[in-house]
Amino acid sequence: MNKILVSDIIDLESGTYLLEFTNNATINIKGNVIIYINNSKISNLTINLKDKSILNLYKLNLNNNLVVDINQFNNTKLSYNETLINKLDNELIINNNILGNNNNSNISVRCLANNKKSIIKGNIFIKDNTLGNDAKEEIRGINNGGLVQIEPNIICHTNEVSANHLTTIGYLNKMEINYLRSKGITKNNAKKILLNAFIKSNLSEEFREILGGDLSV
Amino acid sequence: MLKINNLSISIKDKKIIDNLNLNINEEEIHVLMGKNGIGKSSLAKVICGMGDYQVEGKIYFNNEDITNLSIDERSRLGIYLINQSPIEIEGVTNAEMLRMAVSEKTNNPINIFSFNKELESVCKRLELDKSFIHRDINVNCSGGEKKKIELMHMWILKPSLIILDEIDSGLDVDAIKLVAKNISEYLKEYKASLLLITHSNNLINNFKEFYTHVIDNEGKIIDGDKSLAIETLEKGFNNNIKTNIISE
Repeated sequence: MNKILVSDIIDLESGTYLLEFTNNATINIKGNVIIYINNSKISNLTINLKDKSILNLYKLNLNNNLVVDINQFNNTKLSYNETLINKLDNELIINNNILGNNNNSNISVRCLANNKKSIIKGNIFIKDNTLGNDAKEEIRGINNGGLVQIEPNIICHTNEVSANHLTTIGYLNKMEINYLRSKGITKNNAKKILLNAFIKSNLSEEFREILGGDLSV
Repeated sequence: MLKINNLSISIKDKKIIDNLNLNINEEEIHVLMGKNGIGKSSLAKVICGMGDYQVEGKIYFNNEDITNLSIDERSRLGIYLINQSPIEIEGVTNAEMLRMAVSEKTNNPINIFSFNKELESVCKRLELDKSFIHRDINVNCSGGEKKKIELMHMWILKPSLIILDEIDSGLDVDAIKLVAKNISEYLKEYKASLLLITHSNNLINNFKEFYTHVIDNEGKIIDGDKSLAIETLEKGFNNNIKTNIISE
């Protein structure tokens, strides 16, 4: 894995990268790229997927306000996975701009609101006169003493497209808590196990190893 | 071991169990029968501290009043319930959950190596592939696999009172035999007691002797021995049941 400190604009070719940022940045993707980002305190990130590129991105965001602009051109494949655990009020805006043909986009966000408010805006724009694009957005939030507000927004300027979104906001499942308690686990630890399971569901195994430890606390 | 005194259970002000008394001593097997919806599962849940019920009376476990203890406190004392439909939990593996449960029960850290060895040996006993150890709890499992997984938890948590709520529902003949064999072996090995809620003779035929309690239509309990269970299964719950009442 390549560990890189990004300060402005960077071109990434096929490989796996762990990125840290000093400033707002633009990443240009070429080839088959996996990116891990652990809690970078930037407010703007732009990602450009060049033609025929594939990006799998896993990002952990612990607090900051962030706007992500993702531009896909032709024959690209995107899997964007952001996990947001808030301890402060914050806002995450993801703008997925599909500008060419035959692109595949999958945006997945998990938000755990610990006593604070998180606003998540997931915007997908499909350009006019484009063909064969498939965009999916799944944003799930758990109010753990805090509040998650989700605004999914799909704007299609063409009929030749498949685009859908799924949004859920809820609390921990009482039946699951009681099931774990029936095995002798205290209520607090049962909640902790379930919150970790929720967060883990959006992190790849390799990224979990990089992060290590207990994420929900 | 378990002593229930004058227990009444209501839900939304409707009484479903009225003034129940029940004693389960060490190494005893008790079978609880009754029509659907009569309150058998509610009783099991109340013993374990689950559900939103209004409860009157007292429940003692090993001479300790547990009436107001939480679900997890009762579990750590050694009460274990297997439901007819165990739930699925995505993202939490059996091993992860059991490590936490055992560590909380014993107040000791877990030796991962010996813990995994024990789990593998339990899987073998249950004819369950050892890959289930690291799979999410009951996720994408058949009805039979779910019951085996709950039995896996039982072997690891080592409770002294097991409550089986229609564990035989949805199981084929071979699976019922395996469940009965495992339960019998467990009771013998850990000198545990069993409260078995069932509608069928599939499971009870595997036990030589036991006490029977039938909940009638008024929520009262008729007590007897194995012959009461057999008579009830033959004649149904609507017929008058002649019983040899067991003196306590």
